Amino acid sequence: MKTRFLFPNQFKQVGWIILIPSTILGILIIFFNCKFKTIDSNVFTIYSTVFGGEPTILGFFKGNYANTIVGILFLTGAIFVAFSKEKLEDEFIAKTRLESLVWATYVNYAILAFCFLFFFNMEFLIVMIFNMFTILIFFIIRFYYILYKSKISLSREK
Amino acid sequence: MKNNLKVERAIKNITQEELANHIGVTRQAINSIELNKYVPSTVLSLKLSKYFGKTVNELFTLEESD
Repeated sequence: MKTRFLFPNQFKQVGWIILIPSTILGILIIFFNCKFKTIDSNVFTIYSTVFGGEPTILGFFKGNYANTIVGILFLTGAIFVAFSKEKLEDEFIAKTRLESLVWATYVNYAILAFCFLFFFNMEFLIVMIFNMFTILIFFIIRFYYILYKSKISLSREK
Repeated sequence: MKNNLKVERAIKNITQEELANHIGVTRQAINSIELNKYVPSTVLSLKLSKYFGKTVNELFTLEESD
């Protein structure tokens, strides 16, 4: 079946290989406060303000690329896992993918709306950090769960 | 929309798997069409019609709710 905007099937495996280590690193950074100070360096910014200082515009300031690298790797891996073609791509898979995307968007923003109501200040910042990634996570879980479930129901049919 | 894919399959004596391979779709697609969970596209309907040597109208029929 002809599809638009999807990566070839081989990208799925590459996606998992990137996604799993970057998830582990992400957990280390968020929950265990790992700073990876060894890669402290001057980082380029379009516009950033360090606490109490003058803003840096289109220049360098002292920072760390750990979050940047892990974040981008996670997004790349998750996008590959989420939006690579299946081995056999057909309209049933395409429909499942679309429905899962709608479902993931609803769930993601329902949870965000809930957090808007009940979390404030620093805690809301943490919610926002998670929310950058959760839509992809919810999509991946829902899509593969539905495919898995339809495979299970097949083994009961003849 | 109703369909008699299961009956046609039984007449030809082929499994869902074999039909799916022939048409070039997943077994899940054939299964969910037979269970009335999924309405196939025109392209897929025409492929099925060609395979069984029946018109699309003979394979699929509209229901009241459609």
